[in-house]
Amino acid sequence: MVGPIYIIAIALGTAFSLGFFKNANRNISFSLMFLAMAFLTFISGQWLYAFLTQQQETIQIFTAGFKPPFSISLQMGFHEAVFLTMINSLGLLSAIYLFDHLREKGVNMMMVFMLLFMGLNVVVMTRDIFNLFVFLEISSIALVGLIILEKKQDAISSGFKYLIASGVISGILLIGIVATYYYSGSLYINDLISANLSLVKGGSVAVFLIMIAVILELKPFPANGWALDVYQSVNAGIGPIISGGIATASLFILYKLLPIGGDAWLLPIGITGVISFLGSNFLGIKQKSSNRILAYSSISQVGLLMIIMSLSTSLGDKFEFVFFSVLISQYLAKAGLFWIAGIINKDEIDDWNILKKSPGLIVLVGIFMFTLLGLPPFPAFYGKWELIMNLSQSGNFVWVGIILLGSLFEAIYLLRWFGKILIKQDNLEDLKIKFHKLIPVIFVSFAILLFSYLTAKWSGLIGIKYYIPFIIALLIFAFDFLPVFIKNIAAISTVAWYSYVLIYQTYIPENDILRIVFGSIFLIGAIIMLIPGFTFKGKRQGFYPLVILMFSGLAGLIEARTTFQFFFAWEIMTLASYLLIIRGKNAVKPSFNYILFSMAGAFTMFAGFGLAFAETGSISLNALADVLVYANWAYALIAIGFLVKIAAFGVHIWLPSSYAEADDDVTSMISAILIKSGVFGLIILMLSMSLKNAVSPNIPYVLGWIGAIGALIGNMMAIYQEDVKKLIAYSSIGIMGYILFALSMMSHMGWLTAFTYSIVHFLYKGLLFLAIAGVIYRTQTRNIYEMGGLIKRMPLSFISVLIGIITLAGMPPLAGFAGKWMFYNAVIMKGWYLQGAIVFFSGIVAFLYCFKLIHNIFLGPLKDNHRKLKEASIWWLIPQFILIIGIMVISVYPKIVVEPIGQYLSMYFPNDGLVWDGTTASTRLGYWDATKIMTVFAGMFGVLFIILYSMSRKTQLVEQFNIVFQGERPERPETTHYAHNMYAPYNKALGFLTAPFITSAWKFVYESIHSISDQVRKFYTGNGQTYAMHIIIYVVVFYLFINGGF
Amino acid sequence: MENITLQNISLAIGILVILIGLWGLLTQKNLIKIVIGFALFDTGIHIVMVSIGYIKNRTAPIIDSAVDMNNASNLVVDPIPQALVLTAIVIGLGITALMLSYVLKMYQKKKSLDITNYKDLKW
Amino acid sequence: MKILYVLFSFFIILNYGLLQTGFIRRITARVGKRIGVPFYQPYIDLVKNYAIRSQFSHGVMFYLGPVFRLSGGIGIFLFMPLIYGNEMFSNFSMSGDLILILYFMFIGMLGMALGAGEGGHPYSIIGITRGLSQFTTIEVPMTLAVISIAAQYQTLSISEIVAAQQGGFMNWTIMTNPLATAAAMLAFLGMIGYAPFNVVNAPQENPLGPPTEFHGTFLGMLQTNRVILHVIESILFMNLFFGGATNWLALIVKAFIIYFYAVFIGTVFPRFRIDQSIKWFLFIPTILGILAVIFIS
Repeated sequence: MVGPIYIIAIALGTAFSLGFFKNANRNISFSLMFLAMAFLTFISGQWLYAFLTQQQETIQIFTAGFKPPFSISLQMGFHEAVFLTMINSLGLLSAIYLFDHLREKGVNMMMVFMLLFMGLNVVVMTRDIFNLFVFLEISSIALVGLIILEKKQDAISSGFKYLIASGVISGILLIGIVATYYYSGSLYINDLISANLSLVKGGSVAVFLIMIAVILELKPFPANGWALDVYQSVNAGIGPIISGGIATASLFILYKLLPIGGDAWLLPIGITGVISFLGSNFLGIKQKSSNRILAYSSISQVGLLMIIMSLSTSLGDKFEFVFFSVLISQYLAKAGLFWIAGIINKDEIDDWNILKKSPGLIVLVGIFMFTLLGLPPFPAFYGKWELIMNLSQSGNFVWVGIILLGSLFEAIYLLRWFGKILIKQDNLEDLKIKFHKLIPVIFVSFAILLFSYLTAKWSGLIGIKYYIPFIIALLIFAFDFLPVFIKNIAAISTVAWYSYVLIYQTYIPENDILRIVFGSIFLIGAIIMLIPGFTFKGKRQGFYPLVILMFSGLAGLIEARTTFQFFFAWEIMTLASYLLIIRGKNAVKPSFNYILFSMAGAFTMFAGFGLAFAETGSISLNALADVLVYANWAYALIAIGFLVKIAAFGVHIWLPSSYAEADDDVTSMISAILIKSGVFGLIILMLSMSLKNAVSPNIPYVLGWIGAIGALIGNMMAIYQEDVKKLIAYSSIGIMGYILFALSMMSHMGWLTAFTYSIVHFLYKGLLFLAIAGVIYRTQTRNIYEMGGLIKRMPLSFISVLIGIITLAGMPPLAGFAGKWMFYNAVIMKGWYLQGAIVFFSGIVAFLYCFKLIHNIFLGPLKDNHRKLKEASIWWLIPQFILIIGIMVISVYPKIVVEPIGQYLSMYFPNDGLVWDGTTASTRLGYWDATKIMTVFAGMFGVLFIILYSMSRKTQLVEQFNIVFQGERPERPETTHYAHNMYAPYNKALGFLTAPFITSAWKFVYESIHSISDQVRKFYTGNGQTYAMHIIIYVVVFYLFINGGF
Repeated sequence: MENITLQNISLAIGILVILIGLWGLLTQKNLIKIVIGFALFDTGIHIVMVSIGYIKNRTAPIIDSAVDMNNASNLVVDPIPQALVLTAIVIGLGITALMLSYVLKMYQKKKSLDITNYKDLKW
Repeated sequence: MKILYVLFSFFIILNYGLLQTGFIRRITARVGKRIGVPFYQPYIDLVKNYAIRSQFSHGVMFYLGPVFRLSGGIGIFLFMPLIYGNEMFSNFSMSGDLILILYFMFIGMLGMALGAGEGGHPYSIIGITRGLSQFTTIEVPMTLAVISIAAQYQTLSISEIVAAQQGGFMNWTIMTNPLATAAAMLAFLGMIGYAPFNVVNAPQENPLGPPTEFHGTFLGMLQTNRVILHVIESILFMNLFFGGATNWLALIVKAFIIYFYAVFIGTVFPRFRIDQSIKWFLFIPTILGILAVIFIS
């Protein structure tokens, strides 16, 4: 083993020897520096390895032959090894990244660079507080030295601000150190810890000065303007050094010195962290500069780490896991983003769509951002989970709220940024990427993936099975160069195999009807909806890995047995679907809405799970049933997450445009399948929580009203849409309203209705979207009034749509009527007459858009530019006809589906079920015999058709314009197609119902947050003196706070 | 009157210098004056450090004719704060020098010594 | 055997409907100081239309539209119990209840809409959109009334609703639940489609509305449907609110009175625009319906 002392020796020696080279041969000097950096990394890495594998003991190195306090001692323990490895490998990667920059600036810069890392290394290792101060100063001086060598105007003026601020801070630290020495007589940190200075009179001031200086080194909000400016102005290669090196080292200082302050300091540090996390993220949302966004994000992450540190005692043995999973994610991802920012060399995030030129980098940006956001499968997700669970368990609900709110703000600015990258724009400049700049970025992304795997394993929360989808997705990603056809087959067979395993091998033997039903919707639905993929040409890069992830998320929901697994799967599915939606042509803004609402919903769900855990101490899904005290809160919070997904009234505004702008086959996937995940979640939630009476019945009552109003508004909105996909999308909101309403009735019939609706909605909504997608694919327009008369060109699609709308409208004899009939029974049994009437009214309103759909597309006059259209591709038609078969089977013989579900529900709702007698189903109110009705209808229809046919055999088929048109012959199809603004009188009478109240309300919230953020951030005036003033005020306020001044 | 010892006087002076330095650092618009303010601030800290280490009626921690080797620990003041001050002065010097070079660079670019002219980055 | 009885009842209903239509046309003509057509005119029209040989079609749905339409009308008839306590004249009502009948009405509307749409005549579509728009709001008081009586009798079976009203005038729904009856009877005006709610067909300014393009056998089927539908809707209301019928005579008398009430109002009042009728249905009848529901719960 190479002793840690060599780190200092080598770094210092190299730095000085570099001086001999002058600028003679910069390649040699760079190689020297690079080797030194590599050796540093090697030393720290080998120690880390030793600690991890060989149960290495912590060692102390005493310099100058004396024991402390008479000499300076260094310590190399596990934590030191981790931090050093992080810092040094960052140095190594930075050196690679800055290769040309360092060469250009010459040996001076290399020396300073080397010194900076030496300083950081000693800062981590030293156990002498004055030594700590000295090397902290050396690192700052080195950093400022790096900045001045940049010779950029912005960088220099912000470097000066940095100097002023850090000068003040180091002054405070220095006084603190001397005062500490005065009271304890030692500079050795271990002595200081045992001295319990806080208890000594006057000693507490000394401790305060040290602690506040260390906290200020972490750039806490709001005393951090100086750091933000530096972040923004420096070369992109230096940003990671500040955020990943200096901030990491500063965190370690806090960690090291925290015992001096003792437990009394935990809470203040936690509060500082909370303020920092929330404040920085809040101000981040108004930022436009990529580096400044990263700066805000860095500071907020440091705040989060401070929170974690303050919880070190209550987290117990989970502390290391939480701390390192968050720290390392932030460290890796931030470095990656800074480096990419440097590659792009554009400060405004609006210009980042230049990345379109290199899709690989977009993938990397995505990985980094999702890592920062703590989305699964990235490491911070596990850490955040443990953190929130722990906070909840100790009753810190306010902190949970603040952390989740802060994370939401972070999501706003990071994801908006991500969206901007994907905005399509012509005439982009070329992106020149230097290879050596790419190496560290790629390395870091691999490190993230590796670390994700390690954290998942370390966490022990999920089994090995959960990696399979990621491996498959990665495999498909690796073979992304293959044509669509092969990848589609691969995807379909993967899903088919998995549905065989899951449904046939697992749940059918268990007879778990709930999971069979939803498993079939999710997975068999997936197979059906993947078939149209064959029509796509080219490679469709990135599509299939996401599809696999989305469906594996859905399957994960089915399989989940713990709240963690559920949440994991939920986030995977949300993330994958977001990325699928954003692939659409103009989908950036809609998908942003989608992911924001989803994230907010997921966070409330997260908080709800936290509450449940706080009470039961178990993350099992079944344990939700044991929640009693917090039952209402937990229930409501979790439910909100699901309500967002099913686009319940009030949180529905993301849905229409997301559906409309997604790719056509993606739309059918998400509308027919994905949206059911919310229904499934609600069912799981209600089964475990609502039935136990701990939850106030008022909540389902309110949910019922939300469902009813959603049904009405969704359907009302649908009838005015001119965009065909939006029309069906709004209709989805309506149908989801029915399902929510039915579920919240909490009765046998209500739930039977909800199940039936879920199945039937899956069938007809998939059918409609597929058929419409086929039409859009041919007509190349989504405007419904630009179509017309297509029955002549696309009769098969017409049949699909016809069956789809008959089912949607709930007309007998098709399957939709089953839902309607059960609905009536359920409503009357439950006694929710008024809500029920609203739902029925909205069901009838559905007729209007059903007719609009079929008439405007298929009936009426054919447009001139559509005269030569062909029928939709066979790949669009095959899944449609599979779905039609499904609808027909359920229509004729609903018993095969409804009866098992009824039996299953009897376990939970034993009373007032459906009684089957042959093919007749009856409740205590009414009865219904689908098979007979179908027979009677078919017979009657046949007879009448034969009569008509026999009486009008010689009918002559006439030309399009041959109509009774006031003696004239219309010239253009457009003039006789009554299609645009079809329901104007209806709008005139009832248009007020569809005024965009909800959209305006959300817009108001969103914009208020932005303008407040915009106003608040103005206190960062840009003047170095103001920043110094902030620091002074911060110290004073903090002091008053600590000493009960407030 | 007992409180007016050499130590307390120097401590008070040190704190005064710190405050003056801070005042200059925070209020002066001229970059050079700010640097001077910082230097004062730093010097004040050094005075405070030395005065904290001072023990009444003792001499400098140098072993020579005035200080007996064997009784040194009772005759001299605590040497450590003084050693610290030396280091701190060096660091302070370094920072001040760096600040001045910054001022130089800033002046070269913008021909202005007014700090309010260097607010390009903000918010 | 059942089928024979069904056909027999159908024959009665059809003939009665044709006669009723003829009489009503004559009555309305007299009100307008005209002489009017002979009471057997509907027979003549029907025979003429079915007999017309030269026909043309706009496509498959143009063909299927009238079939759908008539299926809807006959479907309601098929699932409607006619004579209380008589197994022979209760048709196929054992296969479906009130909900089925309410939803069967939509099939006819859909058929009309599809056929008219294929016809490609803008007037047809204008008529269809008007009809659908108006119909959605007619259904609001109607649904409320149905919920109210279903809650009142705790059943959705029409036969049982009728059974519950037996035993004299005071047991009829109109007496036991006057609010629901009022709401439903106002909705009935819209269902039958005389003034003030006849802007759908708007015979003057919008030649005939939805059926504009239909002629010959197609039109004949639509006419047949119209005749049956009016009678059968009257019978539905009779069953729900006026104690049903225990014999054919009672059925005809009651159905005629109910129908005549709509005709009466239709001849007296002028016509609403479509947005006016939407607002109208959502105002007084809906409030009555809500009151009926609140009253019963």
